[in-house]
Amino acid sequence: MNQIIDISIPQLLLAFVFILIAQASSFIYHLGLNRDISVGALRTFAQLFLMGYVLTFILGTQSLLLTLAVFAVMVVSAMFIVRGRVKEKQVAYVLPTFLTMLVTYFATAVFVSGFIVGTTPWWEPRYFIPTLGMVIGNSMSAIAIALERMFRDMRVQRDVVEMKLALGANYREASDEVFRNAVTAGMIPSINAMMGVGLVFIPGMMSGQILSGTDPLVAIRYQIVVMFMLVGSTALTSIIVMLIVRKRCFGSGEEVLLTPR
Amino acid sequence: MTHLLEIQNLAFSWPGAEFPVFEHLDLTVREGAFILVRGASGTGKSTLLRLCCRLNRPQVGVILFRGRNIVETAPAVLRSMISYVAQIPQMTDMTVGENLLLPFSFAANRNKIAPSEEALEQMLAEFYLEGVSLGQSALKLSTGQKQRLAIMRAILQQPDLMLLDEPTSALDPESAAMVFSIMERLNTERKMTILGVTHSDYRPETVVALAYRLENRRLTLTDA
Repeated sequence: MNQIIDISIPQLLLAFVFILIAQASSFIYHLGLNRDISVGALRTFAQLFLMGYVLTFILGTQSLLLTLAVFAVMVVSAMFIVRGRVKEKQVAYVLPTFLTMLVTYFATAVFVSGFIVGTTPWWEPRYFIPTLGMVIGNSMSAIAIALERMFRDMRVQRDVVEMKLALGANYREASDEVFRNAVTAGMIPSINAMMGVGLVFIPGMMSGQILSGTDPLVAIRYQIVVMFMLVGSTALTSIIVMLIVRKRCFGSGEEVLLTPR
Repeated sequence: MTHLLEIQNLAFSWPGAEFPVFEHLDLTVREGAFILVRGASGTGKSTLLRLCCRLNRPQVGVILFRGRNIVETAPAVLRSMISYVAQIPQMTDMTVGENLLLPFSFAANRNKIAPSEEALEQMLAEFYLEGVSLGQSALKLSTGQKQRLAIMRAILQQPDLMLLDEPTSALDPESAAMVFSIMERLNTERKMTILGVTHSDYRPETVVALAYRLENRRLTLTDA
């Protein structure tokens, strides 16, 4: 049970069969995804190898500064990905989103690593960095979905929002529905994941632990912590970002700044 | 009569536009007045009304409401006193009754007393909405019915000034006549001050109105 089978480079290359299947599907059905699949596959390969070497190095050095540097790189990269997906020019959302991600992700990782798992030191890279990776990966998608939804609904429902403003609503009251729908849209994938975990799918972290020889009963405890952490951190980050960005959708006279495209 | 609204040297431009929509615009609205601003599409009539309740921001000029610059009043409080009814009436996905009472759920209107169900039913008749019940969906009403409902909802807050933005532009002649009749009755019976914009040739029959024309970026008095 404690033996893990190493994957050799030829065996790893054999996994490219799945990429070839995806490429063939795109080619046959003219999906136009061949370039994206190629780039995605290469990036997966390169980024994970890089991450593997970086983690090996950091785990060896046990340096707080290096651990925090990895954290900073991960958050900056996540922000770039969010910015790439949410192409909004009229509302300055990047800086508040970045700062919120920085603070909430750090707080979550410290809480899980230092308090729930109880590592010493609290930034023990073997726990701290994978925890961050899961939090950022999950929450980043939620933020992107929520931001896209908020900007879209604010434009589509601009007349309704203005109707409420004209009837004496403040900006929070006028955009309450837009706000709730945006946060909900971001949260639903995390909540659905909690519903299906263990029944519909075995999450990556738990699978990885089991594959590496961990007792499944230990692995599930970690997975429960991870699932709760993902829902909590996603809710916290999404709500803070949406509260700040929603305010920025309105001018000083609480007028809607977003104009139809 | 005191000045309810004073617009002084107002100018507005859309971002990136070469020319302003209008400039050097002055207008005084006295309490109890019935003022119509006419003009072709795109001359800035709607923008003028939206500026009065801060739904848009002017580049130049001052708007005073009861002698006080409107930017010094919290937007929600200002809009509970100056009610704006948009050209296309908007309803939420709720019943007629819930839509009518919507303004009373907002913090700025919490000190106002919401009308009873009986009062609302009586008002529906006054607004030519006899066949409409408080429990039915507001989204299923015709555009003309929605427009009358939107005006009714706005006056339930008992604002000091009603801004009516082309209230009949999307209506058939019969519905338009009903809305014009309502506007005049609001002014004569409820002493409501009305500032409306229209591109129609409507001439009030039962009220003394001031008519202005907005064209070539200027506002001029045409009919006193």
